[in-house]
Amino acid sequence: MRRAAWLLAALALAAGCAERPRGAEPATIVFKHAKILGPLDPIPGLLREFERRNPGVRVRSEALTWTSDEQHQFYVINLDGATPTFDVLLLDLIWVPEFAQAGWLLDLSPWVTRDELAPHFPAAAAASVWNDRVWGLPWNMNVGVLYHRADLLRKYGLAPPRTWEELVEQAQRIRAGERDPRLEGVVWQGKQYEGLVVNVLEHFWANSTALLDEHDRVLPEPDRAAAALAFMRGLIERGVSPAMVTAGDEEGTRRVFGDGRAIFLRSWPYAMDLFEAADSPVRGRVGIARLPGHAGGAAGVGATGGFHLAVNRRTRHAEAAVALVRFLAGAEGQRAIAEAAVALYPTRVDLYRDPAAIRAHPHMPRFHALALGGRPRPVTPYYLMLSTTVQPEFSAAVVGVKTPEQALDYAKRRLEYMLSGLR
Amino acid sequence: MTARERADRRTGLLFVAPALLALATLTVYPGLWVLWLSLQERIPIFGIAHFVGVRHFAFLAVDARFWNATRVTLVFTGVSVALELALGLAVALALQRQRAGRRLALSLLLLAWALPSVVTAKLFEWLYHPSAGLVNVVLGGHAFNWLGDPRLALPGLIAADVWRTMPFVALLCYARLLTIPPEVYEAARVDGAGRTATLAWITLPLLRSILLVALLFRTLDALRAFDLMFVLTGGGPAGTTETLTVYAYRSLFQTLQLGFGAAIGCVIFALVMLVAWGYLRALRGEGAAA
Amino acid sequence: MSGRRAADAMVLLLLAVWAVPYFWQVRTSFTPDRELLATTRVTPAHPTLVHYRAVAEKSVMPRALGNSLGVASLTTLLALLLGVPAAYAIARLPLPGKSLLLLIVIASTAFPQIATVSPLYLLLRTLGLRDTWTALVLANTSFALPLLIWLLAGFIREIPIELEEAAFLDGAGRPTVLRLVILPLIAPGVASAALLTFLAAWNEFLFAYTFTATEASRTVPVALALFPGVFEIPWGDIAAASILASLPPVIIVIALQRWLVHGLVAGALKD
Repeated sequence: MRRAAWLLAALALAAGCAERPRGAEPATIVFKHAKILGPLDPIPGLLREFERRNPGVRVRSEALTWTSDEQHQFYVINLDGATPTFDVLLLDLIWVPEFAQAGWLLDLSPWVTRDELAPHFPAAAAASVWNDRVWGLPWNMNVGVLYHRADLLRKYGLAPPRTWEELVEQAQRIRAGERDPRLEGVVWQGKQYEGLVVNVLEHFWANSTALLDEHDRVLPEPDRAAAALAFMRGLIERGVSPAMVTAGDEEGTRRVFGDGRAIFLRSWPYAMDLFEAADSPVRGRVGIARLPGHAGGAAGVGATGGFHLAVNRRTRHAEAAVALVRFLAGAEGQRAIAEAAVALYPTRVDLYRDPAAIRAHPHMPRFHALALGGRPRPVTPYYLMLSTTVQPEFSAAVVGVKTPEQALDYAKRRLEYMLSGLR
Repeated sequence: MTARERADRRTGLLFVAPALLALATLTVYPGLWVLWLSLQERIPIFGIAHFVGVRHFAFLAVDARFWNATRVTLVFTGVSVALELALGLAVALALQRQRAGRRLALSLLLLAWALPSVVTAKLFEWLYHPSAGLVNVVLGGHAFNWLGDPRLALPGLIAADVWRTMPFVALLCYARLLTIPPEVYEAARVDGAGRTATLAWITLPLLRSILLVALLFRTLDALRAFDLMFVLTGGGPAGTTETLTVYAYRSLFQTLQLGFGAAIGCVIFALVMLVAWGYLRALRGEGAAA
Repeated sequence: MSGRRAADAMVLLLLAVWAVPYFWQVRTSFTPDRELLATTRVTPAHPTLVHYRAVAEKSVMPRALGNSLGVASLTTLLALLLGVPAAYAIARLPLPGKSLLLLIVIASTAFPQIATVSPLYLLLRTLGLRDTWTALVLANTSFALPLLIWLLAGFIREIPIELEEAAFLDGAGRPTVLRLVILPLIAPGVASAALLTFLAAWNEFLFAYTFTATEASRTVPVALALFPGVFEIPWGDIAAASILASLPPVIIVIALQRWLVHGLVAGALKD
């Protein structure tokens, strides 16, 4: 079997060499992206289509490592002072200002006008711009949402909660009624990583405060922030959330809810496709709602996330690379992703009303409204530095090793020290 | 100087020059450079590089996270080294009396020491698994959350480190015990000394210098330890296993602040050098007294 | 004599218990996923090679093993090349400022890697050497070389000076003496020092984690630390990867215990 494969590969290689006309070497651009698992991956098809429309250009696809941290480390090492081995890259949108500031991205402004950004969600479009220049194009969108067991809420005559306090009451009522000791109230991501910062920020915003205000002041209302953190810790102490959330990430918590063991889950849109899969225990019983606010605070709002396409500044094939980026982020590229029924959501707003896309993702209209109301994390080149500085403090508060006041006091001092050194 | 001595001098310089060059570039130069770095605000990817004097050190002096890391480092070092020495000595004494199966015994002992630290970390991560881990199973099925509970993580880390390094101490002591001529024990037996007396008055004094050497090596290694805690717990949960080295590494390569991270590195550097100097003076004192 | 036998057996048993964590990992590497939580059995009910197959075919471990082998071998080679002559010079030849040199060498062995990693990072960045074998070999040499020099100088000093003087009378120069007289005599010491260097370079993690970015240069410890788990942690695969990662060091240490003991004794007692 293996030998046959080798033979085939050798034949293909020979055929490929024979086909190429002498003297007309194609420009090969390398596209670095996270692999989409499964047979429905639309990327290879899209890349072949792009090659068809751009004769003389070949695109080679290379996989990124799995976790966000590793991808970031990979990019830092390879973009900082090294020769470029890839031309087009897929970035977490929180890295766009950082990479732009570091001078690693090609300024796309000569090619991409603001009109081209208009069809995308405002939050996604805003994340592509830094210092008034365009550095990337949005590719897929994420927003924090509240999943709930619609069947259970219906059974007890409840509507999705509008505040976290209401959520706690509902969870307690349902658990008392169901008498299932394994049924948890709400699960969320509390492990010490970027996901925790997202969860904490959402609680801050729900309590009418933020990590940085418009003047880049750190924790402008420490009392409100402490109250939000205390609430999160309280969820665990009161047993509304299981202790495992302090080690919980997206997949760990998704499984708990997906196995029917939780009433509420805070997560991203991708999970819905998995809940609606044929063998899912909660198929047909999951509802989507806006994240709750806090009593006495503001309305709930989900953090936005997603990936953007950008071009390495040191690319030797700028035209081709930019063309690829515009193609993938364009109507056709995004439609292919939307229709592929992989757990990725496009950033072009009109696709959320498109019948073909909705057939693949029946819940798209719901996410549309939620995405429009999403809020970005602090947009600054130093976001990763900020995040890694506050992660241990937030974790200490959530685990209960420090009081929220202690944790935030330290976080404030540390962040101010860091930011003052940058100026 | 004779012609021969002049020739020797030339040859000596020739022999030593390449190694000296390598050491100067790779060890000494970085050793000095890190001091210079610690006085700067240096973030390479943004091209930030300016002199800030002792600003970082002033911050560290009042930084709660720094003092927590110092405490964790000292507790880790103290407890680990004490356990390693006690257990290592016991094993060496047992091995000395071993008649059959010495090679097998040494092989079993050295297994733990041979493993790369990352392998040990993964090994213990699995052993400490709350439901499937061997440790909890042996303890009767209680689901202790070894790596997630702030009170259990540091003891768990120390246990892993002792497991890994005790063989080294045992080996050192065992090697030294091998060099003690059997006549010494013969003489002791003839004099009517019992087992405990022989141990206390003959064996232990002879082991004193090697124990001090083991103490030196192990203390320096424990102060500089990084791999095990970084991979096993990452410094968590909530900083309960964050040693100075982990704090430094996170500052250096997670927040990309080379200046601040270098400052923490310098503190570790100074601590290690201080301990080394202190021990060497004690050892020289031993040598003079012996 | 049976009391002695019983004591011997007891010691062997206790040491076997000490090594249980390793044996448990071996057991886990042959245990299928569905049995991983069934810890009441000592051996798995249906031992399987699926984890080893996964590691060999789908992970970066094979490449990482190649990288580790290359980096560790080259580090040892470079350290020996630089260290043997230097050790001889320090042990035997009149050098200006020898005590200072010795101090630098000994102090270098105590330099914490966490302190030198940031300057080395900047240095390698400037030289454009990140994600290469060269970077790791150089970084490893920074701690391997002083250690090697210190160990070898100790061995050389043990050799009676008369042997060299006899060679000088026969008209040999210093380099020849080093090659034909000293080296054969310290060969066991060199072998054990080389093995220790190889081991240290194989097990090295901090520099490798910082200076490598892709499987082009990733060594075994880094590959193991970054072992991918898509959803849940693949304990069985990690166990298999761990056993493979530890095979070379374990084989070296077990098979060559005698050399190791010799090396540690000589180096440690020469203080």
